[in-house]
Amino acid sequence: MRAGDLIRETGSALDSNRGRSLLTVLGIVIGIAAVIAMTALIDGVKYALVGQLGLNRARLVYINCWTQYGSVTANDLERWERDLPEYEFITGTAYGWGEMTVGANSSNGQIMGTYPEFFDAMGINLVEGRFYTEREVEKGSLVIVIDETTARTLFGASGPYVDRTIKLGNYEFEVIGVTEASQMTSNTSYMPLPTLNTRINNYESMDQILGYAREDVDPDELAEKTDAYLRKTYDIDEEEGYGYVYVFTMASVTRQLDSTMLSFQLLMTAVASISLVVGGIGIMNMMLTNVTERIREIGLRKALGARAGDITKQFLLESIALCVAGGAIGILAGYGGAWALAGVASGLAGIEGIAPVITPGAVGMATGICVGIGIVFGYYPARRAAKLDPVESLRYQ
Amino acid sequence: MALPVIDIHGIHRIYETEAGLTHALRGVSLTVDRGEFLAIMGPSGSGKSTLMNILGCLDTPTSGSYRLEGLEVSSLDDDDLAEIRATRLGFVFQSFNLLPRATVLRNVMLPLIYSDTPRAEREWRAWKALKAVDLPEEYYEHKSNELSGGQMQRVAIARALVNDPALILADEPTGNLDSATSEMVLQTFARMRDRGKTIVLITHDPKVAAWADRTVHIRDGKLLTDEQERAFTASRERKGATS
Repeated sequence: MRAGDLIRETGSALDSNRGRSLLTVLGIVIGIAAVIAMTALIDGVKYALVGQLGLNRARLVYINCWTQYGSVTANDLERWERDLPEYEFITGTAYGWGEMTVGANSSNGQIMGTYPEFFDAMGINLVEGRFYTEREVEKGSLVIVIDETTARTLFGASGPYVDRTIKLGNYEFEVIGVTEASQMTSNTSYMPLPTLNTRINNYESMDQILGYAREDVDPDELAEKTDAYLRKTYDIDEEEGYGYVYVFTMASVTRQLDSTMLSFQLLMTAVASISLVVGGIGIMNMMLTNVTERIREIGLRKALGARAGDITKQFLLESIALCVAGGAIGILAGYGGAWALAGVASGLAGIEGIAPVITPGAVGMATGICVGIGIVFGYYPARRAAKLDPVESLRYQ
Repeated sequence: MALPVIDIHGIHRIYETEAGLTHALRGVSLTVDRGEFLAIMGPSGSGKSTLMNILGCLDTPTSGSYRLEGLEVSSLDDDDLAEIRATRLGFVFQSFNLLPRATVLRNVMLPLIYSDTPRAEREWRAWKALKAVDLPEEYYEHKSNELSGGQMQRVAIARALVNDPALILADEPTGNLDSATSEMVLQTFARMRDRGKTIVLITHDPKVAAWADRTVHIRDGKLLTDEQERAFTASRERKGATS
């Protein structure tokens, strides 16, 4: 019996039982939907992380350090860079807050004081203009980089926004660049760190220090080394109240996220396997009914020259086709379900804007599972059909 | 002289049932030549179905030899028997046994998928077979359950012809048909015989058997010729008259 014939016979057999087949594969649909929803979400979270953070972020080491004498300064950072050559650079940032006004329009938002390297390390992209230069930082120039959303609020929908001025506190700032509006950077503006300290905050501070590890350096090891170095250099003793050090990497944040996702993954795997087993039993049940109903047809086929193997193949393929059809519906349902769950997952993982992703690998895996279930639960009914005696089957009423 | 299509010798068939052993065929020998139209008659329980199943390679004898076109088939395994059925035998059943939702053409082509006939050849062969049984062309794409009984049985005969088998076995082919349609179906068989087909037909109806070239009778698992059968019936009538 040829493969093409086998497929055609299967197609017409399934076609004649459409309603019942659909109900039977419901278990498979739910199981596969769970598998697909799970993998689509997890892949979505990973894509969201990579997309938002930029690949550079894996090399970032976040350093929070207060000494007994107060905030660290630019001079301290220069010393760290000398003592810890594993860093490509170390750059400080500070946070501020202010109301920006342009005519009647105003926008409240976070303002970050940074050095030029910051944009590179964070993977922040410009849609217009430029970032500030080293020289502008040294001079404490009154320049500002705003994001697209803020620009629209202040200046209206039409650009260009560069070279316009914004009033912030008692000063007028020149807009030199506009960044891409993204979930991460929404409503955040940037200006040189000294400018922020002197013109907005009116005090010297470095709230967050970012180290950018060299390419062949393990960021986690470097973070540990940095932690030890800072404690030794500044005699930090948190219990006695002498300063404070906390060093972490983006990689460790990602790992923490992975463990959150793992519990979700376990739950979905449990749901999926239970419904796949139940679905498989349903398939077996339907195939057994099918064999009983078609005893005369089986007898006829055998009388016309079908071998036991031909009959086994035909019924096995029917059960596989049923499972794969259920799987195809499950993939669609799972993708839909993943969108519904994306909000919940965003909350769990603490990342906004998760878009479920279906990869060819996930579809391949789901199809493989379906074929496997079709074979495992279809084998017994198929063998039963193949073993039927043609004489008795033809006489069966 | 060509080999006989059927050459069985000393066939016994013993079934094991819950009630014990059933001796369905007791030393049956029979030869059917190419182009012969043979009727096998017998009441129910006489062993005619068992004989039919053995002739159709659906069952194997407990002992004895069966040569189909010279090939000893009594000791073949299931897969080899399936191949014999696919290539050398055609079946016509009392209840037609067509696939109800499939078209006439697909029903006729069904045996060809088990004999590995090239796809290009199948439709042409099915057309030829349907032409041979005089089914009008407009029915070829009809579903088989939309046909009348006589039409269905002609489709079934076409299905039996499509592999160009050495032997066509018909088991009570007119059992479910009225007499007018029966006649039409039997004419179809007679035409097949005229074209050189070998046909073995099983029936309990003497009017149907009359269409055949030769009739053998089976009683209690033994074959009787026409004369023996007449003697048997006569003796039974005598017994009936005296008692």
